[in-house]
Amino acid sequence: MTSETIISIENVFKRYPVGDGEFTALKDINLQFKRSEFAGLVGPSGSGKTTLLNIIGSLDSPTEGRAMVLGKNISELSHRESAWLRNKHIGFIFQVYNLLPVYTVFENVEFALLLQNIPADERKKAVMKALEWVGLADMAGKKPDKLSGGEGQRVAIARAMVKKPEIVIADEPSANLDAANTHAILKTMKKLNEELGTTFLFSTHDEKVMGYLERIVHLRDGYVEQDEIISPKSMTT
Amino acid sequence: MIKFLLKGILRDKTRSLLPIVVVSIGVMLTIALSAYMKGAFGDMIDQNARFDTGHVKVMTRAYLENKNQMPNDLALLGVDSLAQSLRQDFPDYQWVQRIRFGGLIDVPDENGESKGQGPASGMAIDLLNESSGEAKRLNIETSLVSGALPTQSGEAIIGHDFAEKLGLKVGDEITYFGSTMNGSMTFQNFKISGTIRFGAAVMDRGAVVVDITDAQQMLDMQDGAGEILGFSKLNVYDDEQAGRMAEKFNAKYAGDSDEFAPVMLPLKQQNNLGEWLDYADMMSGIFVFIFILAMSIVLWNTGLLGGLRRYQEFGIRLALGEPKGRIYRNLILEAVLIGAIGSVVGTILGMAISYYVQVVGIDISGFLKNSTMLMPSVLRAKVTPELFYIGFIPGVLAMVFGNMLSGIGIYKRETARLFKELEV
Repeated sequence: MTSETIISIENVFKRYPVGDGEFTALKDINLQFKRSEFAGLVGPSGSGKTTLLNIIGSLDSPTEGRAMVLGKNISELSHRESAWLRNKHIGFIFQVYNLLPVYTVFENVEFALLLQNIPADERKKAVMKALEWVGLADMAGKKPDKLSGGEGQRVAIARAMVKKPEIVIADEPSANLDAANTHAILKTMKKLNEELGTTFLFSTHDEKVMGYLERIVHLRDGYVEQDEIISPKSMTT
Repeated sequence: MIKFLLKGILRDKTRSLLPIVVVSIGVMLTIALSAYMKGAFGDMIDQNARFDTGHVKVMTRAYLENKNQMPNDLALLGVDSLAQSLRQDFPDYQWVQRIRFGGLIDVPDENGESKGQGPASGMAIDLLNESSGEAKRLNIETSLVSGALPTQSGEAIIGHDFAEKLGLKVGDEITYFGSTMNGSMTFQNFKISGTIRFGAAVMDRGAVVVDITDAQQMLDMQDGAGEILGFSKLNVYDDEQAGRMAEKFNAKYAGDSDEFAPVMLPLKQQNNLGEWLDYADMMSGIFVFIFILAMSIVLWNTGLLGGLRRYQEFGIRLALGEPKGRIYRNLILEAVLIGAIGSVVGTILGMAISYYVQVVGIDISGFLKNSTMLMPSVLRAKVTPELFYIGFIPGVLAMVFGNMLSGIGIYKRETARLFKELEV
């Protein structure tokens, strides 16, 4: 497993206009994440977790400083280039599963590949494999409203993973799950992290999630309060 | 991707049903009204052509100026040679002579005393000569209510309503009172061979149809006729061709200052029919424009509502890396698919209604009781090939315009807010 730096955040500030003044959501953030890390941003609401994930996920850009993701400077990307980066290299898992309700489980997972114009037979193989990873291959034909919360989130994981992205960003993935389902999906994600070498970045304040993380970055009021290494894998250089 | 979008359209009824219904209704109304307008105006024009204007008409300049008074004193003379020259110059047209005359119809009793009278509007046509095609052109045989076509001189057919009003039946005798082309009084007896319903209220109320030779004799118009009508042998009015013919014919007499010199007018320049034709075209255009506009507004709002409902979906798609432009294009593609489905449904319904109205028609005779216009009593739609696209294209365009307007919101979406928005 390689240990190259794939995310590099250097002196990043993010400011938003508020009334006549401005609100600084991120203040001089400096972080690096290596390939296959299983890390989390932890902190109370308003600490800047989601803002930082937005920048890493190329959904937003810094007001100041430099955010490099997979060798791309996020500030310099056009809308189309940042969409392409998300499409090819970044998977997203949301707090609520955000599956498209009119499509089946199979079609929801397939959608990520449709955007890449992958041929139908390759898509089918990849989707079924992704559903096998999350243990839902037998539910491919079901609609999202027939799934339990845990199953829905596992479909969301399959959708994020089907294109084999280098980075998966998970925003409070356990917020709507009970303990058993939280553990189940985290085990799934950990397994994929180990098998595929995908970097997982979480935003969470769920103790159960933190228990699986190898690295925890504590944020408070837009600052990095503490960058805590839990397990030796992320220390690999 | 099209298959994927189509699945969404078919499964998500709220995304597709209302727009399809709106487009279908709009397209159906556009087609039905266009067909009805075309049919009704076409019938009116056709009826005018057959009974009055021909595809072109030749008369004297003086007759033309006083046409409404049926001025037989200003009629064409030497019509046989004139008709012959018309046949030579314009062989694609059939040329027939007609005389219009007004007068009084008197109904004598068994003692010869008058038992009833009524004003008559007479028309003399080449009835006894089958090759003229006049009886067929005026649908006289099929319009007979009782009796038969005149087979010999001295017979007449009479409007059925007129006959009923005067208490006449087939075989009865009537006497025509009027004036000759020279202004002297004339009267002539006719035997009623049949009664007829033309389907034009103005004629059914007082028409008398006799053979032209009888009229020429009765009105002292030997080798004379009020009008010579030309009908395309294809029986289709071609305005350009008729215009060219009239121009050519009139050029021959341009240097002649005689008020009795003949003049040719195409159908469109008679009885304001040109204005009616332009009016029909304009109304069809207005209908189509109104429906596109109305449908676009409704579909724009439907699209806005749909956009709100699909706000989450578009957010997910943006987060998954679908560019805004592609989402917008796919939205337009969906609009094309929905518009096409709605337009097909609307076209089928519109054509079915048009065909029904073409076959059955709408009876407006009740409105024409006092009308002096030559209008058919039953208005029918006309199914034409253009109806297949006249509604289809606007149906698709309206849906596309509606979605283009409502989809602009996609470009205003801030990706930085997606995580927050998708938490809900």
